[in-house]
Amino acid sequence: MKKLTVLLVAVMMMFALAACTANKDAGSEKKDDGKGKSEEKKVEKVLNLNNGQEPTSFDPPIGFDAVSWNSLNNLMEGLTRLDETHQPKEATAEKWDVSADGKTYTFHIRDNAKWSNGDDVTADDFVFAWKRLLDPNTSSPAAFLAYFIEGGEAYNTGAGSADDVKVKAVDKKTFEVTLISPQAYFLSVISNPCFFPINEKVAKENPKWFAEANTFVANGPYKLAEWNHDSDFTMVKNDKYWDTKNVKIDKVHWAMVDDPTTEYQMYTTGELDTSDVPSEMAEKLFKDGDVKVEDQAGEYFYRFNVTKAPFQNENIRKAFALAVDQKQMVELVTKNQEKPAYGFVSYGFKDPEGNDFREKSGDLIKTDVAKAKELLKKGMEEEKYTKLPEVTLTYSTSDQHKKIAEALQQMFKENLGVDVKLANMESSVFATDQKALKFQFSRSSFLADYADPINFLENFITGSPMNRTGWSNKEFDQLIKDAKLEKDEKKRYEMMYKAEKILLDAAPIVPIHFYNQVYLQNKNVTGIVRHPVGYLELKGADKK
Amino acid sequence: MKAYFFKRLIAMFITLWLIITGTFFLMHSVPGSPFNEERTTNEAIQKNLEAYYQLDKPLIVQYGNYLKALVKFDLGPSIKKSSQTVNDMLGRGFPVSFELGMYTLIVALISGLILGVVAALRHNGIIDYLAMSIAVLGISIPNFVMATVLIQQLAVNLPIFPVATWSSPQHMVLPILALATGPMAIIARLTRTSMLEVLTQDYIKTAKAKGLSPVKIVFKHALRNALLPVVTVLGSLAASILTGTFVIEKIFAIPGMGKYFVDSINNRDYPVIMGTTVFYSAILIFMLLLVDIAYGVLDPRIKLHKKEAK
Repeated sequence: MKKLTVLLVAVMMMFALAACTANKDAGSEKKDDGKGKSEEKKVEKVLNLNNGQEPTSFDPPIGFDAVSWNSLNNLMEGLTRLDETHQPKEATAEKWDVSADGKTYTFHIRDNAKWSNGDDVTADDFVFAWKRLLDPNTSSPAAFLAYFIEGGEAYNTGAGSADDVKVKAVDKKTFEVTLISPQAYFLSVISNPCFFPINEKVAKENPKWFAEANTFVANGPYKLAEWNHDSDFTMVKNDKYWDTKNVKIDKVHWAMVDDPTTEYQMYTTGELDTSDVPSEMAEKLFKDGDVKVEDQAGEYFYRFNVTKAPFQNENIRKAFALAVDQKQMVELVTKNQEKPAYGFVSYGFKDPEGNDFREKSGDLIKTDVAKAKELLKKGMEEEKYTKLPEVTLTYSTSDQHKKIAEALQQMFKENLGVDVKLANMESSVFATDQKALKFQFSRSSFLADYADPINFLENFITGSPMNRTGWSNKEFDQLIKDAKLEKDEKKRYEMMYKAEKILLDAAPIVPIHFYNQVYLQNKNVTGIVRHPVGYLELKGADKK
Repeated sequence: MKAYFFKRLIAMFITLWLIITGTFFLMHSVPGSPFNEERTTNEAIQKNLEAYYQLDKPLIVQYGNYLKALVKFDLGPSIKKSSQTVNDMLGRGFPVSFELGMYTLIVALISGLILGVVAALRHNGIIDYLAMSIAVLGISIPNFVMATVLIQQLAVNLPIFPVATWSSPQHMVLPILALATGPMAIIARLTRTSMLEVLTQDYIKTAKAKGLSPVKIVFKHALRNALLPVVTVLGSLAASILTGTFVIEKIFAIPGMGKYFVDSINNRDYPVIMGTTVFYSAILIFMLLLVDIAYGVLDPRIKLHKKEAK
């Protein structure tokens, strides 16, 4: 048994030794690190960002989320790119011509637009990528964005063929696309990552070219240097990029830290250059004035189910909607400096006269307790209710949703004298049931996919999978349809103003607040652009 | 002995098969689908996706296909991360979790044993109370609280260690400490209890009477017997620690496999749910086998093949 004793002692000593050396290492290497960084700063500008999680996929049409596209947006580039004012500017295309009917766009691709492996970016690369986006076998969740293209929807839904999709390479550097109708926002839509070109040659040789750093071919300001899955990845300046002289950052290191508190702590120790605001710290950080706030095109709202009592009645719906105090909600409940929402389309869209859509459309449904009470009474009379049927408010399980749901419950009780029951369920089940119209009144959100009010409004046409209210209005449907075909911007905006009014007049929804992006950023870092619609922009970023 | 192992092996496969079958049908009976998100894809695309992952086939066919692939150790593609397979994910995540878990176990075992033994030897003394208060703290402080406190104190306030991520030895210190306190406390308390029991036994008195040195008594006679309950818990403890812990890995941004257990269920990523469950079960079953073998080594009175012996 001596052996066992000896063994135990030996293991203990080994551990003690290991612990000692680890500690010593920790001390000395930390010092080295600090030195290395200050020396590096002079030669190399490194941006340390956090991606939160492993990107879903760097295959452009597949990774339809922020964790994939925030970084992909800087590795690749479409025909256009959004500038600091969120307008589409020439990118891979140096110029374009639009036909008289506004439906055909001819893009001229830059001669010096190259892939990181030295290949030319050609019109064929775009034809290949866009047809692939629409290919039903690609199963891209973003394919619907390309339904503007003639033949696109038919091909994607299996009714047409790839040859009928109206995209073609006129010559090596000229790309032509025909749309189903003139779309003022087309140039902004195609800055979206799903419209990025794909190097056809590379993709045919290796269909999984996007899965690893060493096979990834980029055409954007940066290229992928290293990718340790689930851990971190590194992008470096792409010297083959046509505008590489205007890229000032040498290296961007992306960590994958999923915990908001850890992210914030790494930001405070300088391991990260930006951070989200952890909710428990929000109040203090806002007070200190460290937090930056930027608009995001999207809305947090609630959906009524107009097929279930009592919300088949418009007056009862409106009564509930008017009983909600959005201002109180953002000031006392969410406390994240969101803008209260009294309409559905968010701020930031300018009509041809230069008016902001939201401002001109005005407050379409605004807190009014007296009127709410009156409408509830009227609605109950119309439905011959002596007692209002029981109302259950459903939300998907999360602390944030819970806070808002409880505040709503309180508001309905105080302002209408109605006791609303709360229910919550896991988000995946919630989504299925909401689509199946199983709830009476439920939590919803929408983030715009492209920068135009129509993207908000088209959700509520009859039969849209985003409708989820059972609400249907012929006039509204027609207005959306006409607006999509209208070439005259002024008329188009008039239709959209009218459509929004119809929507909120019928009140199948209760707007709560518009989304925003709040973040902390190292004071030495400049030029990172966060678009209201779109993905993180690092092309013009710089670090002192 | 051979016959015993053969029997155990068969039992292990049957257990594993039952777990696979149970998990497979349970997971498909939970409402929700991998393609259900706030944003809706149109029906045609959804059908394509379902066809691609064979989710449109009858459940029993999917089950058959899954078993067929599993025999070839093919755990299938991930639905959420379409460019990766479950084999890739586990192949990358497990070594990291294993490394973290191994160090954690070593730290927990050594410190737990020392605390437990010392406490038992100084029964009802100050050292005993001190050791047991440490143990009670270790059990009652959840590891995510421990982790946050450690980060705040030893990385932010006193910048000795980096906050998070997994790239060098000093990155490992805090997560190991945070993860080890719980198991350490369990081991310490178990060791103390069973040591106390063993120390009152007659053969210990005999050993003392023989004039053996206290060190010898403790290590040769007492600890060996006292270890049995510790070894029992160590099996399942090791299986869960070695396959990663969701919370600690999330807080420290460690690229282990802990997150797959939770994320896969939230995402209804069926192949990943199956892959992690099968993998975890296999490790757990293997650990339990190791525990049984360890019994025999520690205590010759326990025969693994009792029936044959008769």
